[in-house]
Amino acid sequence: MADLARAYPALLRAGLLQAMAYRAQVVLWLLTSLFPLIMLGAWLSVEREVGAVAGYDAAGFVSYYVTAAVVNHFTVVSASWDWDHDIRTGELSVKLLKPLDPFHIHLTGHLGYKALIGALLLPAITVLAVALPALHYPIRPGVWVIVAAAVASGFLLNLIMASAFAMLAFWSTQVGNLYQIWWGVGFFLSGWIAPLELFPAWFRAVARVLPFRSSLAFPVELALGRLDRLAVAEGFLVTLAWTAAFGAAYRLLWRRGLRHYEAVGS
Amino acid sequence: MAIEVDNLSKHFRVHHREASLRSSLRSLLRRRYETVRAVEGASFQVAQGEVVGFLGPNGAGKTTTLKCLAGLLHPTGGRVRVLGFTPHQRDREFLRSFTLIMGQRNQLLWDLPALETFQVNRAIYAIPQRAYRAALDEFVDLLDLAPLLTKPVRKLSLGERMRCELAASLLHQPRVLFLDEPTLGLDVTAQAAIRAFVQSYNRRSEATVLLTSHYMADVTALAQRVLVIDQGTLRYDGDLSELVERTAPYRLLRLTLERTVEPRVLAALGEVEPGGELSVTIRVPRADVTARASEALARLPVSDVAIEDPPVEDIIREVFAAGAAEADRHG
Repeated sequence: MADLARAYPALLRAGLLQAMAYRAQVVLWLLTSLFPLIMLGAWLSVEREVGAVAGYDAAGFVSYYVTAAVVNHFTVVSASWDWDHDIRTGELSVKLLKPLDPFHIHLTGHLGYKALIGALLLPAITVLAVALPALHYPIRPGVWVIVAAAVASGFLLNLIMASAFAMLAFWSTQVGNLYQIWWGVGFFLSGWIAPLELFPAWFRAVARVLPFRSSLAFPVELALGRLDRLAVAEGFLVTLAWTAAFGAAYRLLWRRGLRHYEAVGS
Repeated sequence: MAIEVDNLSKHFRVHHREASLRSSLRSLLRRRYETVRAVEGASFQVAQGEVVGFLGPNGAGKTTTLKCLAGLLHPTGGRVRVLGFTPHQRDREFLRSFTLIMGQRNQLLWDLPALETFQVNRAIYAIPQRAYRAALDEFVDLLDLAPLLTKPVRKLSLGERMRCELAASLLHQPRVLFLDEPTLGLDVTAQAAIRAFVQSYNRRSEATVLLTSHYMADVTALAQRVLVIDQGTLRYDGDLSELVERTAPYRLLRLTLERTVEPRVLAALGEVEPGGELSVTIRVPRADVTARASEALARLPVSDVAIEDPPVEDIIREVFAAGAAEADRHG
């Protein structure tokens, strides 16, 4: 554990430097922020026709989608594709030779990107929040620490969940597709397509106990002041429980999978 | 013993499919598998500080054996110990004690200067700052790395990259080195530089080295002992010079003649290899080589004479050809 703590600064530094080396890719990623703004356009038309929907007026929709776009950048992960590629092509061999669980290389690699994106996005959202009256965060400044914790835990859950799924690559070549199907469900249940309040009660109840909401709707609703203390505690508890469950699945599948690893290529 | 391999076997289950749409569709319903026996019953030991060459044609099982020794693969059968550890158990202490360098794999961070990979490895292997500095200074000197350290890895040539790869892999001063085709694709100068470095590392640190290479010069320069593996089975374990004597019971008598000589006169000395008229190579039984050379000097218009062992490449080819013929007989 002490060795791991000593290794982290160098790994984080390498993660950040690699992210900076891929500047063009970071800009392209930032452009994906435009996707929720298309959904925003659709909901604003609806709102103009029928008025506020489930407590969301025009300003509410603007705040939700702009915040969702920012939160998504911090919680989205590419780990399932990265792992899958490493296992299928034998690139994992190089990582396996080192006295370090490759998970930490994926974690610090992601953190490098997140730090760079944060450095670009956070000033931008701060300026937007001041300039756009529609963008409104009615929470006390201290609550931002809890929002940051929710974003961080949502990211960690996403990374561990993707890693656990990716371990199936030791047995199957279809992990990328499988994970895409899993996240096809997640698009709705995470609050990415629309705020969860707009869905029926049974759907919201299901979304509350599944892992998808942790990485999007939960931090967004928290930042928009839409959750009471109990709902916040429940959100963190669900995140923690899924993180532990996927963490255990990852450990188990990692140990079993290594026995199947074929280290292809020379 | 640094390396102990006892009756090692590694089998792979491979999905078998014909190259047609029909068979692709059929394989969706019912998959056919076949078992590939990459290594079968290999046993050998390597002492600390020894340098051993691992020879064999493509697909013979060399790399699979190295991967079992490095803990990347779980053996199907048998027992493997490296420095007292069972490699696939991935004990942290074991992972700190060896390295595997694969000529076709790259551990360097692609878009960053090699120095960044060195720093990451220093942190991962918990190398004390002073030891890191000393090792790095030495490698920079021996491998001439100074001009390369600050260039992004993707801008380096293959030879430059391999020199950086060696340094990155040896910073933690491993006691066992597995080298899988470390000079593959390099030009002659770069190959020689890598060989000289491995040799000096072995001498200084008494590290055990097990290497595979397609270039016989790597093996002859570095290893006295060789393991010859073919179709997953170990065919020879011993001195390279003994292998040469055993497989090739002849030496090559090379004569440079001042004028052409009747073929039957040359044939009296031994088996004449096809070639030029003034530059002649004759296979002569080992025991008779001095007498035949004297005879040639006395009776023929010889301007120069040389006695050589046959190239190791030819010998290895003969070993494999004999192995294949034996397999055919039993198959």
